[in-house]
Amino acid sequence: MTRQRSHGVSFRVIAKWMRLAGVDHLHAGTVVGKLEGDPNTVQGFYNVLREPLNAVDPSRGIFFEQNWAGLNGVMPVASGGIHAGQMHQLLTYLGDDTVLQFGGGTIGHPMGIAAGATANRVALEAMVLARNEGRDIWNEGPQILADVARHCTPLKAALDTWGEVTFNYASTDTPDFIPTPTAAA
Amino acid sequence: MRLTQGAFSFLPDLTDAQIAAQIEYCLQQGWATSVEYTDDPHPRNTYWEMFGMPMFDMKDAAGVLQEVNACRHTFPNHYVRVNAFDATRGVESVRLSFIVNRPPEEPGFGLIREEGAGRNIRYTLGRRA
Repeated sequence: MTRQRSHGVSFRVIAKWMRLAGVDHLHAGTVVGKLEGDPNTVQGFYNVLREPLNAVDPSRGIFFEQNWAGLNGVMPVASGGIHAGQMHQLLTYLGDDTVLQFGGGTIGHPMGIAAGATANRVALEAMVLARNEGRDIWNEGPQILADVARHCTPLKAALDTWGEVTFNYASTDTPDFIPTPTAAA
Repeated sequence: MRLTQGAFSFLPDLTDAQIAAQIEYCLQQGWATSVEYTDDPHPRNTYWEMFGMPMFDMKDAAGVLQEVNACRHTFPNHYVRVNAFDATRGVESVRLSFIVNRPPEEPGFGLIREEGAGRNIRYTLGRRA
């Protein structure tokens, strides 16, 4: 949306409108997968949709404080080219209150759709468990998945199929704000 | 058939140490924990029986685990779960809920077909005897 220059409206603004309009859920980008995006920019969208108060945070595109005064949030939805092997990245970037839609990552599973669903659920539960236990899922994520996959054949198959798939697009987002490092006095 | 309700139900049963770590996380978030049990795990049975009152003032994971073990001891053949309630304005609901005890035999559910008027068929999820 932001990349469509002709209408000139940032997705952050659209997210704000949607929350005011009482929308239930909204596709807001995934950072990883096919809908690549600059992590800070996407987190800005998520914060606008979910947080009770948006503090000024120019690096995430929040230029003015916004107190939502108890207004209900919007559930952000992440989908598009995501798979079980990215679970640690998804959980780190997007947090708890989000809908993760694994489409191809479920239906394309070599052992069938039910196995695909199991693989995604096992990966998610293992990652939430590890994060709540205080482990560093960003760095240990692949190891956590490999460990749990030893007890779960569907997850093993999913990791073998998609584990190495990354899109690695360079983000085409242009943040409105580039922090300038200030020299120490 | 293994019951897959709540969090972590697709993982192997949690050890006491793992349960304590999850409770500790809940308490750090400021959530109030409670212990519930049931012998009727039908998906529509949302409200299980409370094992004592929710522990709004409990700040110690060991204390909650003691309640869990007391409930397991009293109802070894029931399902037991731990709930964590978040009282934050606008949330005001259970943020984490996971099963900590299962009966040795889990019968699972069966599909009941009921012939209605015309060629109508109604489907119900029933308990397997």
